[in-house]
Amino acid sequence: MSKASPPNRDEHPGIQISGLQFAYRRGFQLSIPSFQVATGEQVLLAGSSGSGKSTLLHLIAGIENASSGEIRIRGTNILALQGGQRDLFRGKNIGMIFQTFHLLQGFTALENVMMALMLTGYTPLQQRERAESALNKLAISDPHSPIEMLSVGQQQRVAVARAVAGEPCVVLADEPTASLDPANARVAIDLIQEAARAAGSALIVTSHDPSLREVFTRIVEVSQFAQTEAVR
Amino acid sequence: MNDINIVLRSLRVRFLASSVTVAMVAIAVALLLVLMSLREAASQAFRRGTGNIHLQISADASPLVSVLNGLFYANAPANPIAWAKYQEIKNSFPWLWAIPTQLGDSFRGSPVMATTPEFLSNFEPVSGQPFQYAFGQGFAEDFQVVAGSKAASEHGLSVGQKIVFTHGTGASREGGHEHADHPYEVVGILKPTGSAHDRALFTNLQSTWIIHAEDRLASAHSEEEEDHDHDHDHAHEHEHVNPEDLTDADKLVTGILLRLPTRPGSDASASIAAQFDRLRRDMAITVAQPAQQIGRLMAIVGDIDWLFLAMAVVVLVSSAISIMLAMVASMELRRRQVAVLRVLGASAWRVFALAITESTLIGLIGAILGAILAFGGSALASTILAQRIGITVAGTIDLRSAAVVMASAIVLAALAGIIPAVKSYRTPVARHLKPIA
Repeated sequence: MSKASPPNRDEHPGIQISGLQFAYRRGFQLSIPSFQVATGEQVLLAGSSGSGKSTLLHLIAGIENASSGEIRIRGTNILALQGGQRDLFRGKNIGMIFQTFHLLQGFTALENVMMALMLTGYTPLQQRERAESALNKLAISDPHSPIEMLSVGQQQRVAVARAVAGEPCVVLADEPTASLDPANARVAIDLIQEAARAAGSALIVTSHDPSLREVFTRIVEVSQFAQTEAVR
Repeated sequence: MNDINIVLRSLRVRFLASSVTVAMVAIAVALLLVLMSLREAASQAFRRGTGNIHLQISADASPLVSVLNGLFYANAPANPIAWAKYQEIKNSFPWLWAIPTQLGDSFRGSPVMATTPEFLSNFEPVSGQPFQYAFGQGFAEDFQVVAGSKAASEHGLSVGQKIVFTHGTGASREGGHEHADHPYEVVGILKPTGSAHDRALFTNLQSTWIIHAEDRLASAHSEEEEDHDHDHDHAHEHEHVNPEDLTDADKLVTGILLRLPTRPGSDASASIAAQFDRLRRDMAITVAQPAQQIGRLMAIVGDIDWLFLAMAVVVLVSSAISIMLAMVASMELRRRQVAVLRVLGASAWRVFALAITESTLIGLIGAILGAILAFGGSALASTILAQRIGITVAGTIDLRSAAVVMASAIVLAALAGIIPAVKSYRTPVARHLKPIA
């Protein structure tokens, strides 16, 4: 099965959120009346702990369900998609990078990247070509090494390669530098930005790290567009 | 990269747990297959050895004991039958043959059957398959012996070798004494028959009567000397007995094998039941229809057999439960993996299917290993049975039964994957993507 034709990237903004409400289990509600990220735009999402940064990323990725509202990725409301349709849409259009990478143990670097492509319908040949290309661009010296044998830095590169190999519309990075020292954090964020740029993806990064402010042209405090309030 | 790769790697990551569960399935499948195979094979093995006998007579307590003692050499029959009784039975009907047998001696634990040459020429241990000689020939004179294939190989016997028998059989030989004055010459070695007769030795009745007559006389002399209160050493010479000296007290047998005349190509005779009923009226003897007795024995053994089969089924079900437990135990790690797969585009149903595939694969590998183990185990079990009890149990595994057992194991394993699969399906993705503490 080959990948479906990519959507026309210039027709719609990368991400368009409107009237979004999300109810936390502990009795609070996150409300985002409006928020947009343009195609290829790179945004640093800042804010204190508990302000809803990670929740917003999960909502954009469709792994949390909103009470109401819309999140349109290249024009498609991901929240309106159900079950497998939403999963497949996510796999094809959204790349995610995590603080602890979440690479799959027991697989090689190449296989970790290929798996993401396999799950979105690439043929084995396409999987290999794209994964090798992505890993090569990110300077992974030995793509056939088991993931647990790679250094932390190399693992992070594999995680980035996995997120961008399918050239998604959006890359979401949740605290990608939180466990790194400042020097490596800078290297990592440069890597993510460059990879997203090369893939033509919009990028949203959440972080507490103030040093990252200087590498983003758009920095948004969550409190500027989202309110968290107690509900009865 | 495909779904099977994901499952195989998942199994490899949990190698120890996966191996244990695969081993449990393999053992359960092997156990079931071996038991099913041996069940049928043992039944057939017991049917070998009774051969072309229609009726068997002894003075044992019951027909089953009579068959087990007389044809499977379980024990030496305790009660003899007088030669006159044998003659009476022999002459009471136009039998095709009536072969007298006597058991009581042994050679290094192997039973010795004293009989007539007709036993080796007319009796067929397996119907249609008469005894055949690997070496030498049958006994024609006194103190000649023919060895069964197993007895010959176990004791390293060869034609021309002289051997000495011991009074008593099996465990009782320890308390017996050797008939050292009368060595027997091995004149023939039989080819294997796959029956209990392979572990026996065969000689003529007269030789056995002579050595027991001499024992009887020696014993009588000893008692006489004690009665006369001899106070000096007496170098007692063993008194030799000639065939013409044998008395009715010496001429004893322990069994009679009978075959009625049959039509050509038929093993059955319409008169068997009538003769059986006629002979049974004689309270001094026990009459058995060997095939019927073996049928009864298998019915008794069959109950125990079902118990073993039930146990094997329980082991199979336990192995399925162990698959489920192993998968549930690794659920925390699995949920994190599931969450990642979901983020990468796998649907909830796909991760459900991956879990079912994993448990099914454990069942499949276990079933294949179990079948391999069963073939090996079956061969080993038949070797042990042949060595220990001298019956050939050809443990051939019926392919249809094997397919049913293997399919059952795979289906059970697949079912065992349902609970872990449901848990995978319901995994809250966002919660399991949080950084590991």
